[in-house]
Amino acid sequence: MNPPIRLGFAVKVLGRAGLKEHDSRRWQNNPHLSVSLAYLRDIFEYLRSQQITMYRISSDLAPYASHPDMPQFHNQLDECAAELALMGELAREIGLRLSFHPSQYVILNSADEALTAKSVWDLRIQAELLEHMGLGPEAVVVLHVGGVYEGHEPARERFVRRFEQLPETVQRRLVLENDDVRFGVQDTAWIHARTGVRLVFDNLHHHNHNPDQMPLSDALALCLATWPVDVRPKIHFSSPRTEMRIIERQDKATGKRVEELQQPVWTRHSDFIHPFEFIDFLRAADGLRPFDVMLECKAKDLALLRLRDDLARYAPDLRERVT
Amino acid sequence: MSETADAVYTPEHAPVLVAVMNNRSDFERARDEGWYRIPLKRAPRRIAAEYLAFYQTGAFGDEGCAVNYFAPVRRFQVLSRGELLPDQPDHPRAADLYYRIEIGPLQRLEEPVTSPRLRRVTFIPTTLGRLLAAREVNDLWQRDDVQERLWAALREAGLLAEYRYQLGEPPNETLIDFALFCRDGRIAVLCETTPDPDPDLRERRPADYELVAGGWQVMQLGEREINENMAACVDRVAALVRQLGGQAATAD
Repeated sequence: MNPPIRLGFAVKVLGRAGLKEHDSRRWQNNPHLSVSLAYLRDIFEYLRSQQITMYRISSDLAPYASHPDMPQFHNQLDECAAELALMGELAREIGLRLSFHPSQYVILNSADEALTAKSVWDLRIQAELLEHMGLGPEAVVVLHVGGVYEGHEPARERFVRRFEQLPETVQRRLVLENDDVRFGVQDTAWIHARTGVRLVFDNLHHHNHNPDQMPLSDALALCLATWPVDVRPKIHFSSPRTEMRIIERQDKATGKRVEELQQPVWTRHSDFIHPFEFIDFLRAADGLRPFDVMLECKAKDLALLRLRDDLARYAPDLRERVT
Repeated sequence: MSETADAVYTPEHAPVLVAVMNNRSDFERARDEGWYRIPLKRAPRRIAAEYLAFYQTGAFGDEGCAVNYFAPVRRFQVLSRGELLPDQPDHPRAADLYYRIEIGPLQRLEEPVTSPRLRRVTFIPTTLGRLLAAREVNDLWQRDDVQERLWAALREAGLLAEYRYQLGEPPNETLIDFALFCRDGRIAVLCETTPDPDPDLRERRPADYELVAGGWQVMQLGEREINENMAACVDRVAALVRQLGGQAATAD
């Protein structure tokens, strides 16, 4: 029997008041990775109490570690080697699968060499954090292809070139996710064929950007097949936000701020996961190799806990397969 | 790194961990060497904070049974006791691991946060705003609305309760929402609120039978009862206090 499907959530904890995800003090107040790790330790204890076994760590875990003008922060990973190793031990004890998802400012295929260099620096830090924790190949850094710039194909090719130049540590940890406006699964698959990078399937992005009309189950299967047989793939799942949007703008005639209602856009995440969409998705994935699911939604861990309850009510057979 | 920067950084919501200081040598290390230790095995569920504050026990004489000092947290390290205290290499726990929390200069609170009834204090997670405004240790806890109103009503009625009174040691501790100590017994008031503001607290709720076996009188108060008939709730507590001979001077 396959191990259960892990459900995870990203970064911010809503289910317990006051848990911070990283040391957010400004540089003048000497934030430190070790303090972030203490926050992370408290989050891990919360995850343990809720039997949550997958979690995305804040990309800001090591404060100012790649700030070019603040060398005093550049050595934090080495300074925290023992503490990182201990966090890795704790993660293994709990059975936690961990990951990073760098911010939108990390762009490997940027036309700007300086931005690329800074991006590589950020990727290296996140990969090395996972290395220092002694985590296996399931612990990954999830990235998008990036910008289109002068053209779609040159942008893909530049990603491949830059990937090939990455430090080996980063190459091993990096996985590539289809996005919702520029690079879909066909593109990430094209890059996979040239680099071997593993692919993370994102259902909402696929619905929003699927120029080749690839059926969802085919796209999912294609991404899952890029993972080595002994490493459990992961995917991202989210539901679109359906509410009217309140947009604030300045009235040209009066100069006053006014609120305006606009229809939703389907790229935005809902607060909670739509249980029926999720059930249909898992049923559609029947027969494919097993995977873990990172839930992307605004209610974070509360949404994960609610989804468990929803599965128990509406699809008890799936609830038994999910942790 | 400048001391000044630490001193001016006092945001209201900054997390604070109130830790217990029960001997002078630990206090001198915090003051003179800038560190405090917590054994990994007995660490509370929440250790991370931007500030440490210290509850000094009765061992400190005039300064005892109060929080008098706090300090900014600079760094966490994990070290063995032997590394922390190299002058005690043969200590039976020399190999045990500890969090060594490096702190900046101790800052004295304008007013000490006292424990008027000398309650047993362990670790209390709070915020800088609460610490700076607190009059006594029970004010340090973040309470939900229902419990806050019950707390205020009990206080107004002259009933002196200890909030989140801890039984046992981490990680197996349990917490009584409101504990009242009387001359002839102890009362555990447990609030039934939905949803519980912290799902983890459900795990740390002591079982009724354990409390009764430990000599506690248990009183359950539902959220609806508290919301709709606070006066009756307070009367019930007051009646039980009278039945148990009135309140004791100390919480033990």
